[in-house]
Amino acid sequence: MKLKLYADRMSQPVRAVIIFCKKNGIDFEEIRVDIAKRQHLTTEYAEINPMKQLPAIVDGRFKLFESHAILVYLASSFPGVADHWYPADVFKRSKIHSVLDWHHSNLRRGPTTIVRNTVLAPVLGRPLNPEAAAEGEKFLSASLSKIESIWLKGNGRFLLGGNQPSIADLSLVCDIMQLELLGETERNRFLGPYKEVQQWIENTRNATNPHFDEVHKILMKAREKLQNLRLKGANNEGGESDMKRTLHSRI
Amino acid sequence: MKLKVYADRMSQPCRAVIIFCKVNGIDYEEIKVHISKGQHLTPEFAEINPMKQLPAIADGRFKLFESHAILIYLACAFPGVADHWYPADVFKRSKIHSVLDWHHSNLRRGAAPYVFNTTIAPILGRPLNPQVAAEAEIILSSSLSKLESFWLKGNGRFLLGRNQPSIADLSLVCELMQLECFPLTYTTPVLDEKDRTRLLGPHKKVQQWIENTRNATSPHFDEVHRVIMLAKERQQHQRLKAAKNEGGSNMKRPLVSRM
Ligand SMILES: N[C@@H](CCC(=O)N[C@@H](CS)C(=O)NCC(=O)O)C(=O)O
Ligand SMILES: N[C@@H](CCC(=O)N[C@@H](CS)C(=O)NCC(=O)O)C(=O)O
Repeated sequence: MKLKLYADRMSQPVRAVIIFCKKNGIDFEEIRVDIAKRQHLTTEYAEINPMKQLPAIVDGRFKLFESHAILVYLASSFPGVADHWYPADVFKRSKIHSVLDWHHSNLRRGPTTIVRNTVLAPVLGRPLNPEAAAEGEKFLSASLSKIESIWLKGNGRFLLGGNQPSIADLSLVCDIMQLELLGETERNRFLGPYKEVQQWIENTRNATNPHFDEVHKILMKAREKLQNLRLKGANNEGGESDMKRTLHSRI
Repeated sequence: MKLKVYADRMSQPCRAVIIFCKVNGIDYEEIKVHISKGQHLTPEFAEINPMKQLPAIADGRFKLFESHAILIYLACAFPGVADHWYPADVFKRSKIHSVLDWHHSNLRRGAAPYVFNTTIAPILGRPLNPQVAAEAEIILSSSLSKLESFWLKGNGRFLLGRNQPSIADLSLVCELMQLECFPLTYTTPVLDEKDRTRLLGPHKKVQQWIENTRNATSPHFDEVHRVIMLAKERQQHQRLKAAKNEGGSNMKRPLVSRM
């Protein structure tokens, strides 16, 4: 039976898992679970992942959630995954665990929080929350600076001085890619100061293309839509004040 | 060269690593780094862990931080660690990874800021933040429910229905033991067990599992937790004294002594 992957490509850990499968020739069936339509909250999906989050996989009778755990599982149990993704060497492997653990309580708390409380809020029918967004910005800036100065130290093209990507590169880069939703100016404001980070995103993209771009297509489309919405919003406001002005001049 | 463990036993991931070493007969040197004295912020310690957090280890020239990664490393690199701590079987192992990943953004995200903002902050000269505490309590409660209903589902004595402990049991139980140290909260004056009971009370399986993990790692578990038990006693003492002085008046702000 084919590996089943429950996925919504708008989610960054989902994209990491999909790109990993594609890049490594792992045959899988992508089962769409649309978060915006709340399909992850159904009782059927709770059978797959009782935490009601994405991604999750089912491999035969084996179910698993948490993207890092999934990436490790896939790298360990599918033949043909090159060693550099999740090295057998205990020292190298431990360092990758360290990055992935660090990811959870640092970088992971940046992009998602910012996006959810700024551009996505109106779409999800929720109020903008500048305070939460500011908290996210703090995590993002601190994390990017640690990635630049610690995880990307040295001359390697990837994290930990590696010359080939690991599951940690894929996981962290997919997370940072979420910033695309903010539009170019905002994204550049955050990433601008971090040249090594920018180069590493490019390296990871190149190492996993064409899959990387293909799987991120949905994000780029969403970015456009959000931008149009913003423009329209601005126009409407402009229209409104125009109207007010006309009203005023009448009086 | 002996394994070096940089630790402050007030910290829950540090305790998990120390207990793991002791239970498995791993010979190590404990290098105390006192967070309350800011010793983790020195340039010397940044050489060990540039993130300036505890725990961290140095095994010969190999340095590592993040407690989950450390536990996995120790289980893999030291002979004589029984398989149940971190099974070689890829399916069992993956489930343990899943619990440990879940821990980061759930139980830990609830328990750590909750305890910090109800108890520990003043010890480190920082203000208590009731709003953060309230948000953390929501995450903590929901995490406890998930533990009870999902991770402890079935008849096993440990997480994932297992009958022997894994590194995940140790890591998560040490996190919960942190709840032991808050007899003081921002709303309730001289109340010792009340918050703990309120939070853990409804979760019988969680309580039993804490006991099972404690028993499975005895006598090291109690020994390594002694430091937070002492801290708790000291705080209780302070509170009683303060309550007496104020004639039992309703104190909004806890008085926490230097530790
Ligand atoms: N640590 C988890 C995070 C999973 C997660 O947060 N998934 C999000 C999408 S990025 C989700 O399912 N959100 C829906 C919800 O929480 O209701 C992982 O890496 O898999
Ligand atoms: N995810 C890390 C957490 C490490 C951590 O938060 N350590 C705390 C003590 S429990 C610390 O060093 N705090 C001092 C600080 O952050 O300044 C782990 O499991 O090792």
